[in-house]
Amino acid sequence: MLLLVIFISLAVMKSTATQRSNITFLEKVIRDTYVPLQGGVSSIRNNWDGWTAVFSDKSHMQQQIKLLEAENSQLALENQSLQEYKQESFRLRKMLNFDNANRENYDLLPAHLIARSPNNWYECITIDRGFRQGVKKDMAVISPNGLVGRVGSVSENSAQVNLITDREMAVGAIIQKTRETNGIIEGLGDSNQLRMINIPYYSKIKEGDRIVSSGLSAIYPPGINIGTVTEVSREPNGLLLVATIKPTVDFNKLEEVFVITSYHPVEVFEEEEE
Amino acid sequence: MRILVLILLPWLSIFLQSTVFSSYTIKGTTPDLVLVFVTFFALFNTAEKGSGYAFLCGLLEDLYMGRFIGLNALSKGLTAYIVGRVQGNVFKENMFVGVLGVIVATVLNSLFLFLISIVVFDVFHIDTGMLHHILYQALYNVIVAIPLYVWYYNSSNSGVLKTQWRV
Repeated sequence: MLLLVIFISLAVMKSTATQRSNITFLEKVIRDTYVPLQGGVSSIRNNWDGWTAVFSDKSHMQQQIKLLEAENSQLALENQSLQEYKQESFRLRKMLNFDNANRENYDLLPAHLIARSPNNWYECITIDRGFRQGVKKDMAVISPNGLVGRVGSVSENSAQVNLITDREMAVGAIIQKTRETNGIIEGLGDSNQLRMINIPYYSKIKEGDRIVSSGLSAIYPPGINIGTVTEVSREPNGLLLVATIKPTVDFNKLEEVFVITSYHPVEVFEEEEE
Repeated sequence: MRILVLILLPWLSIFLQSTVFSSYTIKGTTPDLVLVFVTFFALFNTAEKGSGYAFLCGLLEDLYMGRFIGLNALSKGLTAYIVGRVQGNVFKENMFVGVLGVIVATVLNSLFLFLISIVVFDVFHIDTGMLHHILYQALYNVIVAIPLYVWYYNSSNSGVLKTQWRV
């Protein structure tokens, strides 16, 4: 009996380890039973500062802070894309035959974080937007500071977002300034650290370089901030470098995120010779 | 009533872990309340009942997470089985037993998680970060286990968790 249970468990585990197109009805029901309470707790926590400000007669100041925070977030988001456009225009000036007319833009769906991973082995968050609000599996999730992760599974009114710090996550990345290195960002299960692998030994990557998504995948748009290089070392084989990255997003203070609901990967066409 | 409380405990544990405790971590580590209650249940019942209850609690956690379904169920089930095997030889009146049980269960559970993950998926690599997680989780589990053990012990003897014997 015990062996049968172990065998069935291992088989189910194996089948649910790979990317599933959808979670089961039971999983959706279980997750949705938590959503109202989690949303309530999240709302109380988010408004806690506001309540204490009311009691200490600082409501005006609190309002100003909130407005400035919202403005700051907006500006950070704009700055992030402007940085990318700056680099792009610099490159385009140097490339006469470059055509990027098909550059995409994407729609953002704001969402609140209502819960975090209940255990230490997975790095994920739950947001208050689900299937009903148009969220689908594998949609990228960002914040004004940078890349957060991707939607792992969706229930009716919530979605679980696997953070880029999760051990199973991998994101194609490049150095924003030089555009030279197509590395892969790996999660380490630590919210304060990422690792960039597959960096060629001749790369000029150095401490302080800003890393952004490369856009070489169907999930993450290019140019989204990922982090800053804090350390570069050589892998034991000597052929590749590995870099430690500090994420630009403070995952411990994450409250609001944006789900990219419509993204089509960039297709770069070279001009046909006439 | 006992059954209802036993169902509610893991449900509430997951809720608290994902909302309250995830905001108050120790070095990025949250306590495993489900494991704490599972350990207590195994200490106050038999190994078979303990492992069965732990399996179902772990399964609830797995279904909530929607990934690697069966991983927590199996690791917690095996942990509770071992805890349940030694429960007959210890004095449960002593709070130290509960605390020690939780420490042992935290280490065992992590060990089973590693072993299953390595054997089945080959995804986890043991690093110092993970060992820190285990140490801090054991510490956090003990902190929450002390008041919870008092409540659990009293409830098991004269409260809602007392087994109703039928003649």
